Amino acid sequence: MQVLIQLLITGIAMGFIYALVSIEYTLIWNATGLLNFSHDKFILFGAYMFAGSYVLGLGLPPVLAILCTLITMFLFGVLSALIIFNPLSKLSTNLFAVIGTVILGRIITESVRLIWGPLPFTLDNFLRGSITIGSVVVSKSHIVIIIVCSLITIGLQLFFKMTKMGKAMRCVSENKVAASLMGIHVPMNIAFTVGLSAIICATIGILVIPIFNVELQMSSMIGLKGFACGVIGGFGYLPGAILGGILLGIVEIFGSMLIPSVYKDCLSFVLLIIFLLIKPSGILGNKR
Amino acid sequence: MKSKKRVILISIGAILFAMILPLFVSNNYHLNLMIQVIINVIIVVGLNFITGLTGQMNLGTAGIFAMGAYTSSLLATKLGINPWICFIMAIIMGVVIGVGLGYPSLRVSGVYLALTTIGFSEIVRILMTNLTDITGGALGVTGIPVFSIFGHKFQTNKEIYYLYLAIAIFLIYNAYRIVNSKWGRAFLAVKDNPDAVEAGGINIATIKIMAFTLTAIYTTIAGSLYSHYVGFINPSAYNLEYSINYVVMLVIGGIGSVPGNILGAILVTVTPELLRFMENYYWLVFSIITLLFVIFLPNGIISLFKERPKFIKERGK
Amino acid sequence: MGDQRQGKSVLTLKNVTKRFSGLVAVDNLSLEMKERTIHALIGPNGAGKSTAINMITGLLPLTEGEIYHGDTKISGMNAHQIAQTRCSRTFQNLKLYPSMTVKENLMMGGMMDMKQGFFPFIFSPSKALKEEKMVSEKAEQILEFIGIQDLAKEYPSNMPYGKQKLAELARSLMSDPRLLFLDEPAAGLNPSERVEFVNIMMKVFDSGIDIFLIEHNMDVIMNISHYITVISFGSKIAEGTPEEIQQDPVVIKAYLGDRYKQNMARGAAHAESR
Repeated sequence: MQVLIQLLITGIAMGFIYALVSIEYTLIWNATGLLNFSHDKFILFGAYMFAGSYVLGLGLPPVLAILCTLITMFLFGVLSALIIFNPLSKLSTNLFAVIGTVILGRIITESVRLIWGPLPFTLDNFLRGSITIGSVVVSKSHIVIIIVCSLITIGLQLFFKMTKMGKAMRCVSENKVAASLMGIHVPMNIAFTVGLSAIICATIGILVIPIFNVELQMSSMIGLKGFACGVIGGFGYLPGAILGGILLGIVEIFGSMLIPSVYKDCLSFVLLIIFLLIKPSGILGNKR
Repeated sequence: MKSKKRVILISIGAILFAMILPLFVSNNYHLNLMIQVIINVIIVVGLNFITGLTGQMNLGTAGIFAMGAYTSSLLATKLGINPWICFIMAIIMGVVIGVGLGYPSLRVSGVYLALTTIGFSEIVRILMTNLTDITGGALGVTGIPVFSIFGHKFQTNKEIYYLYLAIAIFLIYNAYRIVNSKWGRAFLAVKDNPDAVEAGGINIATIKIMAFTLTAIYTTIAGSLYSHYVGFINPSAYNLEYSINYVVMLVIGGIGSVPGNILGAILVTVTPELLRFMENYYWLVFSIITLLFVIFLPNGIISLFKERPKFIKERGK
Repeated sequence: MGDQRQGKSVLTLKNVTKRFSGLVAVDNLSLEMKERTIHALIGPNGAGKSTAINMITGLLPLTEGEIYHGDTKISGMNAHQIAQTRCSRTFQNLKLYPSMTVKENLMMGGMMDMKQGFFPFIFSPSKALKEEKMVSEKAEQILEFIGIQDLAKEYPSNMPYGKQKLAELARSLMSDPRLLFLDEPAAGLNPSERVEFVNIMMKVFDSGIDIFLIEHNMDVIMNISHYITVISFGSKIAEGTPEEIQQDPVVIKAYLGDRYKQNMARGAAHAESR
């Protein structure tokens, strides 16, 4: 029983990470119609910046380091929106969006390699250790992941429902022409969206440091699985992204009890293809 | 028919150049690079059918290539079959993959299809890494024999270069014919206006599956050639980055045009090597150059030479 | 009014219904089109005309009912199979292939009759060339028949709208249709282009092709069609010859409006004076 609960918590924690990944690229997808294939590199960049520069390099306390990372990543997101996402979203085929964002990802990876070096490292005291609740032992990082991700999800919902900026972003994702007629500055709005997405990426990057270490390949798998979650839940639909993420996290953990764990990574892609072929709109897709 | 004459002249010139080139190259490293160029040209010319003409996003090149390479090399090493028969088996594998990936393209398109092909490619990679008994796992397959004709083995890089060049010329010639035939028109038409294609009495499903199959065949052929040339393969290289590289070649050269494909494949394979003098920074510089190309020259290098309607228009025009 | 018409039916709709999740777009529509006629389907905006033509040509599945082309049941077939029974069509908003020249567009339209398979294509290039040449000549003939041979090498996006419409009509002729569907052929044309289009349409009809059309423009409808079916809100409200339709009080009330009669009279006088 304890094992089951522990597994469930691990699954939910991973699921929340996947959910955040899907949220992060769904935001950009809705705003620009571009699938950000460099999103895993954004995550990578955030993690390196936090661990490599602000904590190990400047020796800032974690809270301050997190704040600095988020601000820097926001600015980076806005910048890449102005230079790359805005011009790409004007082209009529999504082929260029794919290539453009992938190359952006390459540029980020190369910069990361040149700035912080190719060797993996980790933060020893950051979110390590475990907590015992009753007879269940849970790792601290999983608890933090679940709490932070739930807060972000709720916060985003409030942001979209309550604030003027959030409403404007929803407008842009519905209809760009109408939005610009209503006086919304669409390019700036897109820039803000990408910045927001970059913040979420950085958060993911920081949260997964205890799980994956800081290395150049740390985020490629969660990046791809994030796409799978989006499709499973309902592509371009935030609640769908969250549902898909959590579902995949749980399915993966329990699936690895049934099949050899090396094939665990296959599971999400098999699910992805099954969903695309049988129900491309995803579980919550038709609610839209 | 002035343009036809020009095409023939340019092709003869290019073939002659490709044939004479090795006479001036003694460095084995450069010969390696030239063989790699040939293999990449085959892949890009193949990718052009589905992504260039038919407009269906295929990001599964790595998986298809790996399937071709593994089919060919496993049959050759484990069962000791003649490499040429393995080569043919790789082609058959291409047909199977093409039809298998073609079916999803009837139901989903755009980004969804891209994700399907990525999923396929990742599954292939994970299986190749983990089915250790069959594929040799992460260590891969070693000791893959080279091709031979009438007992003559193609062992040196020069011999392999000429053999592969001949195969590539055959494939490029046919690709050019297909692109400029009713099939090429049908591929373009499916991208432009599928409803009109159906109303013209043509089954889109057949056309799409055919385009996918052609792409898969070209890619598995390249995989087979590659494995019999380097002699060993392992699965780690065949990730999304690898697939994207070929889409980059396709776009940089010029979507839809066979000469453009060839140009793109050559440039994207050779340029990083020319930038080697920048040492640590060469890949970064190369990535930035490609990004500039994508943003400022979306119709590819070939659009500088050729008056064609723009494949890529701004939205809302 | 009873159906007095003689001759074989080329197109028969029997109780055709189309529902879009609750909304009835076409309701129990039956009609019969006779050989050697121009048959028009008219109705106010949103009456279900385009839905009807899309169902007939197979782009939309039927909810209920049956459709026959001659004696062949075509409801339930795929669009390309229906086209192979020698039905061809044009589209309301033009569906030319923008990345091909006009001639290539036409040659694509004739692909249905290019029977060479893929392996013969690879292994006997000379036969492939012969087939290509045949279809190329046919395209040139049709371009000349329509009168746009000088635009053969032009790309559709560089042409005025009227010429694009002609090019699409030409493409639809490439598959040797016996029955041609025209979806709003005169929409978006200026008066002189409209006259040109109608003349060419008559030429097409005279060459032995039966025409079924949807049209808004009353001048065109009343002048050229032999028989008219009127639908409103998805159901048939009247049918008959143009004269009968012009007199029909139900039609006038539902569609033409009270003032239309005078306009119509003026239009007819105008046509006669030409």
